[in-house]
Amino acid sequence: MHTRRTKKDTYRRIRADSGQQRRMKIVMAMLGVAAFLPVILQLFSLMVTHYDMYSALALNNQSRSTSITPERGDIYDRNMNILASSKTVENVYIDPRELHQTGADVESMSQELGKILDVDPEKILKLAKDRSLRYHLVEDRIDEDLAAQVRSYINQSGISGIHLEPNTQRYYPYHTLASQVIGFTNASNEGAEGIEASYDRYLSGEAGRVVTTKGNNEMDMPYSVERYLSGQTGASVITTLDMTVQACLESQMKQAIDRYDVQNGAFGMVMDVNTGEIIAMATLGGYDPNNYLEIGDPEIAQQIEELRLSYLQYPQESEGFVQGKAEYRQQLVDARLKQWRNRCLSDGYEPGSTFKTITLAAAIDCGAVDLNTHFSCSGAEQIPGRSQLLHCWRSRGHGSQTTAQALQNSCNLAFAHIGLKLGGDRFYEYVKNFGIMEKTGIDLAGESSGVFFDKELITNTDKWGTSSLTSGSFGQTFKLTPVQLIRAISAVVNGGYLLEPYIVSEVVNAAGETLLYQEPTVLRQVISEETSATMRELIESVVTEGTAKNAAVLGYRIGGKTGTSEKIDVFDENGQRVQDKIVSFVGIAPMDNPRYIILVALDTPSRETGIYISGGVMAAPTVGAVLTDILPYLQVEKVYDLTDPSSKMVAVPDLSGMSQKEAEQILKDATLDAVFSGSGETVAGQLPAPGQNIPGGSQVIVYLDQQIQDDMVMVPDFHGMNVEQASQAAANAGLYLLPSGNPDLTLPLQVLTQEPAAESQVPRGSTVQIQFTDPGAHD
Amino acid sequence: MGRRAPYANEDPAILKRERGVDPIFLMLVLLLLGVGLLMLYSASSAQSEFDSGYTVSTKYLQKQAICAVLGLGCMAVFSKIPAQFWYKYTNWVYVISIVLLLSVLVIGQSFNGAKRWISIGGIQFQPSEIAKFAMILMLARLSRSYGPRAAEFRYGIMGFGVALMGILIPLALEKHLSAIMLMGMVAVVMMFISGTRSRYLMMGAAGAVLFLVVYITFMGYAGDRVTAWLRPDEDPSDTGYQILQSLYAIGSGGVFGLGLGKSRQKYLYLPFQYNDYIFAIICEELGLVGAVCIMVLFAGLILRGYYIALHAADRFSSMLAAGLTTLIAVQTILNLCVVTNLLPSTGIALPFFSYGGTALAVNLGEMGVILSISRHINGARKQEEDL
Repeated sequence: MHTRRTKKDTYRRIRADSGQQRRMKIVMAMLGVAAFLPVILQLFSLMVTHYDMYSALALNNQSRSTSITPERGDIYDRNMNILASSKTVENVYIDPRELHQTGADVESMSQELGKILDVDPEKILKLAKDRSLRYHLVEDRIDEDLAAQVRSYINQSGISGIHLEPNTQRYYPYHTLASQVIGFTNASNEGAEGIEASYDRYLSGEAGRVVTTKGNNEMDMPYSVERYLSGQTGASVITTLDMTVQACLESQMKQAIDRYDVQNGAFGMVMDVNTGEIIAMATLGGYDPNNYLEIGDPEIAQQIEELRLSYLQYPQESEGFVQGKAEYRQQLVDARLKQWRNRCLSDGYEPGSTFKTITLAAAIDCGAVDLNTHFSCSGAEQIPGRSQLLHCWRSRGHGSQTTAQALQNSCNLAFAHIGLKLGGDRFYEYVKNFGIMEKTGIDLAGESSGVFFDKELITNTDKWGTSSLTSGSFGQTFKLTPVQLIRAISAVVNGGYLLEPYIVSEVVNAAGETLLYQEPTVLRQVISEETSATMRELIESVVTEGTAKNAAVLGYRIGGKTGTSEKIDVFDENGQRVQDKIVSFVGIAPMDNPRYIILVALDTPSRETGIYISGGVMAAPTVGAVLTDILPYLQVEKVYDLTDPSSKMVAVPDLSGMSQKEAEQILKDATLDAVFSGSGETVAGQLPAPGQNIPGGSQVIVYLDQQIQDDMVMVPDFHGMNVEQASQAAANAGLYLLPSGNPDLTLPLQVLTQEPAAESQVPRGSTVQIQFTDPGAHD
Repeated sequence: MGRRAPYANEDPAILKRERGVDPIFLMLVLLLLGVGLLMLYSASSAQSEFDSGYTVSTKYLQKQAICAVLGLGCMAVFSKIPAQFWYKYTNWVYVISIVLLLSVLVIGQSFNGAKRWISIGGIQFQPSEIAKFAMILMLARLSRSYGPRAAEFRYGIMGFGVALMGILIPLALEKHLSAIMLMGMVAVVMMFISGTRSRYLMMGAAGAVLFLVVYITFMGYAGDRVTAWLRPDEDPSDTGYQILQSLYAIGSGGVFGLGLGKSRQKYLYLPFQYNDYIFAIICEELGLVGAVCIMVLFAGLILRGYYIALHAADRFSSMLAAGLTTLIAVQTILNLCVVTNLLPSTGIALPFFSYGGTALAVNLGEMGVILSISRHINGARKQEEDL
């Protein structure tokens, strides 16, 4: 069977099996060549034709974009004092994998690092053991000192895996001053309140980015790609605020709060009457934006801390604990929101008699009343269309009054009649034009528009009676915001022009280019120039003749209007309306050419102090004190009445060593009177001491050859003294009395404030500034 | 003639002409193995670091290298075993592999939800790898005995079919779809070469397609794969994730690649980057040029495998070499088509490259069998038909 085959046979036999061979060659071509072609075509399509698309998709897929916080712009006041700025601080983080790989002793590391940073070492240890991430933040925003300590620890211990990275920290050099206006930035460096929030888009700049390719699960890749996209430093914001004025305003308001035991804080502002620039804006009961989460008011902070301690006494998870904790959280959140609130624009209040300026301006402008109109006030009157008898604040009445006297007396009955003469339609229209029903458009977030009456209620007196119209006329039973009132009264005195108030004058970027420049915006003219001129005189007369004498400032022509309003919506726990009051004063200076308008309102002065609660007693002298401080600073020129040298302050010259004649001449040149004491040849001493500022025409006591003590004396406590007592006390102490405040000596004046403070030591012959006030001034 | 047909190459004259193994085929195998191990290291290093908590980058390489050494041993041994040995023991190998397949169902171990592994003496392996070899042996043996009768339905379909089902049914019980597909394809190719009428094969293919459609309709899990294949960006984070990540890797490679070891997608973006999807990493690192080079190596191996089959000394050897070559070819092509999204995901690894010890060792062993057959090419071919 097995036969030897020749080569020829073999070939024949292969041919005989050619079917199988042929089919195998087909398979060979198919699987060895053809099948690869679609794959190659597909690869070509993916890797060449669509390379750009896929490499972009891949990069996007692999990239982690980290943003680099840009440097935030600064906030300045008008004199380029820094209100808010940023400093570089550092974050400390650990890399657990690096710690693990380098075999670091994480236990001792946690202890040491915890000690330096004041962080619980247990927490650090837990982070150090969690190797799922390569970044665990241990503490953020530590200052240079602490960072240096961490660095030296890292160097000493040789541990690798503790890292520092730069971060920024916002700081506010003026702390509580104007805090609600400036605002603050939150933990992620975003503006959260005030200018920080309103101008965040300028301040924040543009974040730069680092795009890094990273492995999934945060794996580091050895061949990663990094790209930097540069950001933009934030622009700086220059405000119209003047921190000197702000400080004066807040300091006087603070004193007023203490003096009158004001229960619910205070708010106040200073604005440029002609431009609408906000010079100062204050809400007392504020906070320090450097620690904006802390409660600024120590009393409230104490209450909340007590709440916290009380719920901690309960066992955890018990009902008392949970409820107590919820209560504590709620109180804390409420207190924070309250202290961040800028009441000058966010909250409405009842303006009271300060609003009479607007009613009167409207009535004069449309001719409803003129200066010769007479009003009689019997203390109470049945006004047609009012269901109840309307009482004036002065129960025995003001008698017959001219228009000017009605304003000076702040007579409610007279203003009810002015409202009636004006009529609902005109009253409503004027009030609307004065911008009371709209937001002022100030460039700060959170402005509210107040609550005025429905038009129907005012104008349709046939249906609704006249109570809304008459009450509205003297500023009761509706609410407006302080900034609305200030703006409206500015229009009354500035020639009738309603402005858009603003607080940021300029935004400048890092390159010095101006991005925004705010010009004053006049929205409309509400009353005529003539009416405005008339109103200026009437408003000044309130200070010279009326209820606001306590606001007088020596050497300046001040105008203003007091206000005492009942809070209509405050009730006690029994649902009875509480007779809480807001006392306020709007002052304008100087009256010959108004430049500044100032409002101070004290919310709920305590009835316990025994001081008569009224704007005239409480708010007017506060404003007077502020004006006394700021008008010279603001370089408002004093009005020199040539016939009255006392209107000008002069510095007492140094007379030592002079002869009597010389001294007399020098004092005369300085418009001062000399009184000589002793009988020597040359001047040995003088009172007041050289350099003290005293009103012209004052007496200077010159001691001739008489040993005068050159010692320090103690300033007596003048509070509550009348003029005579105060003069006596000053003379006894060897001090020179410099009176300010209410100048009307016919009134039973009392000392309200003194400077320097009682019991301080001053050189003999120093001046003591005394602010006199009329404690009986009403409304 | 009641006697068993004597096996080929018992002719001493032919045996005397025996030479060494085919150097070209051997070189191609070693090249693929070397490049495969290198790329496995590159593709698996990130995963290894991650798994080991950043201490070891060679976890996968180590295991694969051990299996490569074992596989080279198998290859060397098998290259010495003459084809008639396998011819003689075909039935045994076939029966044992079916028993192993069935035993998986009882004592098997689960991995990724599928029960396909058994552990003997601490070594885990997939019986389906052996079953593939067993099926090829059986089909080659049948092909030899059927000869031209393979064209008939009775032999070409029924005969081969029964042998095929003996393996496919246990695999179906394991729900090992990829192995069924793979073996089905290899069997069809072998039947085609054997001479089964194309008409029958077409019908069989139609039946398989019908089966697949039904399967996809009733198995939601496989249906998702089809959706992911046709519209991967519809659900990029879930069903489409795997294929999209693969395409990102391939596409971002460009013409010349990111450079050896510089893949980014291997940093845990592309799942299975070290086994089924290793080719995507190759594309990313070596670019179109590198990928085509590797494909050329595979094509060369396949062509040379068929060349050996064409020139084998007898029909059994020829069909055995052709079957084993087809197995490598189908695996390679299916894998490349899946990775490049020409086909939906099937779970077939790339020979010599993908991580997987059993598969590598078995593949190398099978290469040993082809090498053994290559010792007798260029000699006269025994024509069994004449015997």
